[in-house]
Amino acid sequence: MSPTSTTGPRGREHALMVSGIGGQGIQLLAKTLAQALTAQGRYAMLGAEYGGEMRGGPTQATVVVGDAPLRALPIVPRADAAILMHDRFSENTLARLAAGGLTLVNSSVAPEEFLADREHVVRVPATVLAREAGAAQAGGFAMLGAYCALTGAAGHDELVATMTALLPPYRRQHAEGNARALEAGAAHVTSVPTAAGALT
Amino acid sequence: MTLELLQGSVAITRAALAADCKFFAGYPMSPFTPLLEAMSREMADASGVCINAESEIEGANMALGASAAGFRAATGSCGQGIALMQETIAEAALNETPLVVFNMARNQQDYYQCTRGGGWGDYRTITLAPKDITEAVEHTQLLFHLADKHRAPVILYGDDLLAKTLVGVDVAPLDLPELPAKDWALDGSASGTGSSRQVWTFAMGKKNDPGPGPDGQWRRVAAKFAEIEQVEARHETVHAEDAETLVVAFGSAAKFAEYVVEELREEGHRVGLFRPITLWPFPGAALAEATRGVERVLVFELNAGQMIDDVRQWAHDRDTIRFIGGVSIDESGLAFGPLLDAPVIRERILAEHAEHAEPAAAVPTARS
Repeated sequence: MSPTSTTGPRGREHALMVSGIGGQGIQLLAKTLAQALTAQGRYAMLGAEYGGEMRGGPTQATVVVGDAPLRALPIVPRADAAILMHDRFSENTLARLAAGGLTLVNSSVAPEEFLADREHVVRVPATVLAREAGAAQAGGFAMLGAYCALTGAAGHDELVATMTALLPPYRRQHAEGNARALEAGAAHVTSVPTAAGALT
Repeated sequence: MTLELLQGSVAITRAALAADCKFFAGYPMSPFTPLLEAMSREMADASGVCINAESEIEGANMALGASAAGFRAATGSCGQGIALMQETIAEAALNETPLVVFNMARNQQDYYQCTRGGGWGDYRTITLAPKDITEAVEHTQLLFHLADKHRAPVILYGDDLLAKTLVGVDVAPLDLPELPAKDWALDGSASGTGSSRQVWTFAMGKKNDPGPGPDGQWRRVAAKFAEIEQVEARHETVHAEDAETLVVAFGSAAKFAEYVVEELREEGHRVGLFRPITLWPFPGAALAEATRGVERVLVFELNAGQMIDDVRQWAHDRDTIRFIGGVSIDESGLAFGPLLDAPVIRERILAEHAEHAEPAAAVPTARS
């Protein structure tokens, strides 16, 4: 599949939308990706929307990247790819996702029939992978590892360095577990055949 | 150039520090709070002072005091808190104290508030409405310059998206013309000399050094704002030259409108955009010129119709003006609602543009 751009009438920009339930690590995975892309010298934007609750409510984030000053809107009309950490609260993301856009689904929580008819869907049991990696809270990082392995957006070492730097001092103890989750997600998708190609 | 992924509020804070802002005071209110937080984190390292005041009124007056002492100073809130600051802003205008006010607004319902004065007396506030964070970084620096240049309160009209979105930016200091020394500042240097300075709205002066008094002072201030109106208007046009339909929008809404206009242009529609960059002074002469050849002027703003008053005042033909905006607030009441979305804006522009662009399909009854 050739690289696509549907985020703007001009310039090649790529938009990823991430959605799920507050507490699944959605904001942190999106910020890690945006930060890693910025560290590569690329133009990145992170748009975040979440309800008043810290946990349990709808949460969503958007990461846009390009190699020139971005024209993307802070609320993107269209996304090129999506990470759905849960089937709940995914409606807005799916409504904006380009036809054929790479879609990662957290198959640990989404039912099997969810998006069964859609193309380019990659099922990643992110919650289970993270638990097996000894980092039950790091499902978001398992998904980010899978996404980056599929798209080549950022390498494992870049992600680990960025993730570690983003953790506040009182959460540094999670760095190793998060790194294992990133690796587990990447290993999962490189071991299964997929039609999804590089998108960035 | 090194890009850093910064939240808009942090980028604006860095820009204020690049402009040598030394004092900030305010009271938390969403979506202004992240700006106050960023100022409180970063101001001390820049040898400045940030105070979380006990109220908006207190914060604004602290900033006024710091500015009267000769330091670049700022305050901020959202429109609700700036409503409380209006007496201070009016005093700053009438006693000619520079003051930068950040309105990290919840929506676009503060257009009247920032363009019509707001307090008492004959004054206006120069208001810049950036369309995105990159521009907000420039506008912030420019505002500190304009406040000092004109010795007047000025406003940055921001919003929830500008406050909270993160983007890769490079906060580079703007190269602005040098300004004269602040020979009016209450820096204590003239104490005991018999010619100590005053900053006084009524400008009555002292027995040995009488001032112009309220009549003289307020006439002079009014004349100053009339002059500012002539020289500080800024605007931007996109595809306006041959547009049949010209959209007028400001701030973040203009960024969305620009995106849609570019998209429609690529599809062959002759649509354009006129964006007031300064809400006051309103770029009226430029709008009159830009609307000369157009068939319709569509006003898109996230309120019940405020800027449209200025558009009506200046557009070449008032009968061509249509309102395609509206009140749209999210369920929290603290941010934009669903109207600020490219597909929705596209639909509203096309509904007006396409209907009239094909005469054969036109509805026979005139739209009001």
